Amino acid sequence: MKFERIAKTSFSCWIVNSLVLASLWLAFGAVAWGQDESLDALIDGAQKKMVKIFGATAGRVEGYGTGILVSNNGLIVTAQGVYLDGPQVRVLLADGSEHVATILRRDRMVQLALLKIDCETPNYFDLSNESGSQKGDWILAISNAFKVADQDEPLSVTMGNIGLQSSIDARLNQRDVAYRGDIVLLDAITSNPGAAGGAVVNLEGKLVGTIGKIINSSETNTRLNYAVPAKIIAAFVAGTYQSDDQSTVQAAPAKPADLGIKLFSLAGRKNPAYIDRVIPNGPADKVGLTTDDLIITIAGEKVGTIIEYEAAVTKLFPGEEVLIVVKRGTKILQVPITPEEKKQ
Amino acid sequence: MIFEQTKPGLSVMAQNNGSHEFVCFAVTVAEKLRKQIESTKFVAAVWAKLKGRIPPGRLAKRLVPMTLKTIAMKLLECRMKINCLYPFIALLMSWNGVGGLAQDLGPDDWTKVQELERSRIAAIQKAVPSVVAIYGEDRQGGGSGVLIDPNGIALTNHHVIMGAGVSGWGGISDGNLYRWDLIGTDPGGDVAVILLRGRDDFPYTKLADSDRIRVGDWAMAMGNPFLLTEDQTPTVTMGIVSGIKRYQPGAGDNQLIYGNCIQVDSSINPGNSGGPLFDLKADIMGINGRGSFQDRGRVNVGLGYAISANQIKNFLPDLLATKLVEHGSLDANFSNRDGKVVCSTINELSKIAEAGLALGDRLLEFEDVKIESANQFTNLICTLPEDWPASLLIEKEDGTQLSLCVRLLGLPYAKPPLPPAPEKEPTPEEKQALDRQKQMFELLRAEPGTIRNMEANRKFADWLISQIDRPDPAREQGIRIVDEIRRGEERIGSCRTEFASDGTFEVAWELEGKSQTFSFENEKFFEIVDGQKNELTLTQAKLAAPIVQAMGTAFMNRRTGFERFGELQLDGSDKANLMVSSRMKLIDAEADWFYFWVSLADHSQNVEATLVKASAEQDCDNRRGGIVFEDWRVESGWKIAHRRHLVMGLKESILFTLHTQSVELVPGERK
Repeated sequence: MKFERIAKTSFSCWIVNSLVLASLWLAFGAVAWGQDESLDALIDGAQKKMVKIFGATAGRVEGYGTGILVSNNGLIVTAQGVYLDGPQVRVLLADGSEHVATILRRDRMVQLALLKIDCETPNYFDLSNESGSQKGDWILAISNAFKVADQDEPLSVTMGNIGLQSSIDARLNQRDVAYRGDIVLLDAITSNPGAAGGAVVNLEGKLVGTIGKIINSSETNTRLNYAVPAKIIAAFVAGTYQSDDQSTVQAAPAKPADLGIKLFSLAGRKNPAYIDRVIPNGPADKVGLTTDDLIITIAGEKVGTIIEYEAAVTKLFPGEEVLIVVKRGTKILQVPITPEEKKQ
Repeated sequence: MIFEQTKPGLSVMAQNNGSHEFVCFAVTVAEKLRKQIESTKFVAAVWAKLKGRIPPGRLAKRLVPMTLKTIAMKLLECRMKINCLYPFIALLMSWNGVGGLAQDLGPDDWTKVQELERSRIAAIQKAVPSVVAIYGEDRQGGGSGVLIDPNGIALTNHHVIMGAGVSGWGGISDGNLYRWDLIGTDPGGDVAVILLRGRDDFPYTKLADSDRIRVGDWAMAMGNPFLLTEDQTPTVTMGIVSGIKRYQPGAGDNQLIYGNCIQVDSSINPGNSGGPLFDLKADIMGINGRGSFQDRGRVNVGLGYAISANQIKNFLPDLLATKLVEHGSLDANFSNRDGKVVCSTINELSKIAEAGLALGDRLLEFEDVKIESANQFTNLICTLPEDWPASLLIEKEDGTQLSLCVRLLGLPYAKPPLPPAPEKEPTPEEKQALDRQKQMFELLRAEPGTIRNMEANRKFADWLISQIDRPDPAREQGIRIVDEIRRGEERIGSCRTEFASDGTFEVAWELEGKSQTFSFENEKFFEIVDGQKNELTLTQAKLAAPIVQAMGTAFMNRRTGFERFGELQLDGSDKANLMVSSRMKLIDAEADWFYFWVSLADHSQNVEATLVKASAEQDCDNRRGGIVFEDWRVESGWKIAHRRHLVMGLKESILFTLHTQSVELVPGERK
């Protein structure tokens, strides 16, 4: 009897699984094809609420961006960037008409800028209108990546899902980004030159957020595809946005860590990481590391040379305990060590 | 790890793996799996609805306590399907809310949905076999292509053959490699035509009407990115059309310019070049050829570009004619001024200046498209080959409008210098490589617009003619067509043409009081004067409108074409009666010639060729008109154009028209 019941249960599991598959295929068909006309209208509608922005270039930094209209009197939100630093910032509306913008406000932390042009803009994103979009929802990301569009040409549209809504942990790489607020992760590729400030809308045409500035991981050379959520944009426009104080403290992350170790160095930089001496009362001294210990790994990362040691230390955080593995004589020792803040 | 929905999931993953994009994916997966559990309730409802047996509550009760992991593991067992499914799950949720779907969808909707879904799967199944993985002679490197005809005609990029050479190997999803040879190439638009050999029933797909594409349409890119395929089956990536009418500047002298092209977010990676972009009917929207790349390297970042199918249609006759094709230029340029598009530079000695265009003239229409910006004009002219009869509507400064039509000038390519001769005797392998290199140089140094390979050209001319669907070649009865000749609305004459079953004819023609009778038998033309038959040469016959209009009908209905008159050439791309056409040239034994224009159109599965125009001269100048055939209908087993216009000049202004009044069967043999 018992056996039979188990068998039945697992059978129904399977039925459901295959049904899940089948029914979802079907649903996709209905929505994706049946709503073709409305998708067309939706894209057109969003395009009218968006602008192309052209400004100064500096070296390899692109001199253009994308923005969204947020009021009927010409208020524009875009991403903060070098291109706003030039003598003139040109804004092109969807109809191709050109306007010179004044910069009202810029925020380095949230990486947004508020611009204003002197004309009526009847089509704009209503920031008081909550999108209600959640993880897993489809989105369209609209931007002028690579400045493919000029004059009245429509912006590029790409499609994807919301992966996650969360706060970004600046620890991804402390040098990459200062912003520590909420973000919306996307599985569409949005992290492109000039795309920042573009609109991310759901399939009802409501604003989910704006495409964030490029965050490049210097470690993996990959980029994060994300949007700054609409509610933060609304707060920024209203002037009520404040970076979380505590985060800001943490977010000044560039405080380098130090282990209180001086390595044995000859002329070459490829030397193995032997400890020459430890600073008295420094972290290394406290945990008993000593001269002639050979450092093998720090926080799981292999340390073969002095260069690699230095690189590994830059990734540590003062006060956060990690494991250091050293070779002393013929013995391998694993020692927990707590880096401290580097004294300037 | 993936399935642990912890708040710090993001940073944990990031620290361990370091890849942001992976993090994004992993979290998406976890989240979607969670949602899937929520959706089991609605699945239960659907199940009950479909089967009508099991009460939804019971099934749901069983399912809801299932652990996340159980479902996840089950799903992973059919990973392939699941990978495709995640977005759809999400879509479902966003559109209907969890559990709402079962109530919203009636049985009819389900049927419709099933049909749509089946058609999408069918489209992929149909498209995949036509995709070619293209390799050079050494079977290394390469790109992608697509077959557009069962005889092996395939499209790819010019830059693909630049790497692969003038011949090589092409793999399709039947697992076989077939030899290919280069037929024609268009460096300016980055399109090349190759011919695969070895089958006369290659799987193929056809070119869509790319003017109908809209932003947001689904787009499937297929090809061989990163040369992944081992069994020659293409990689399929799906996305949406991100932009249309895009312009991407070229490289070098007038080369690799993407005008009026299609921008997609379907993944386009190295190796996708030359591969097709399909719509959901498995028609070719365009040929993928390039992308926008970041400073991080040449991998997809969500912006790919495809050369539009309609541009390819404009160039296809030239390419099949085995030409090195140049792009067209007016020898004049336009810029935006005060909201108008005006002529800003012009070569005073050019044909367009001679035709009446001057500095400051406003451009209203180009190729019958209303022009609103100078960019739009640049975009459009990029899609036209040299010698194309381009039409313009301009407005002079005094407000008068003028319609012009001129053949476009060619934009030259830089010819690569010949490589130096090797200093020492090359080894056999080196010699092969040098020969291939030499062939490539010969191709690029060829005189643009000339037929490079007459043998292949004739083959494609015959191929084009063979696309005419002759209604009933074994017919036994002839036919009599009676036409009224009108100038505008005014009746100015009549014409009676009588065909025998073999396509020989006699035509009695009366125009403004003047009567003429001609006949065609034993492959010879005669003028009948007072019962006397006087033989006419082709030179004389081709100038007689009554003969030319009857020849057109005979051409579309005879068992054989007019091969016996002489040699048929595919002369190149042209426009006739506003349609993209292949201009064919028939050269007789006395080196006299005759032109006719054939357009290809899609009729369900088959491409069908139709005669559009016939004329003694390429541009039917004011001495020698041409006949434009319109409104072909099948009647009593014969194809008959119910309107035949006598036209003059590039603009094809109509002098008069034959309107068919009656069609009746007559005995097969003429007396």
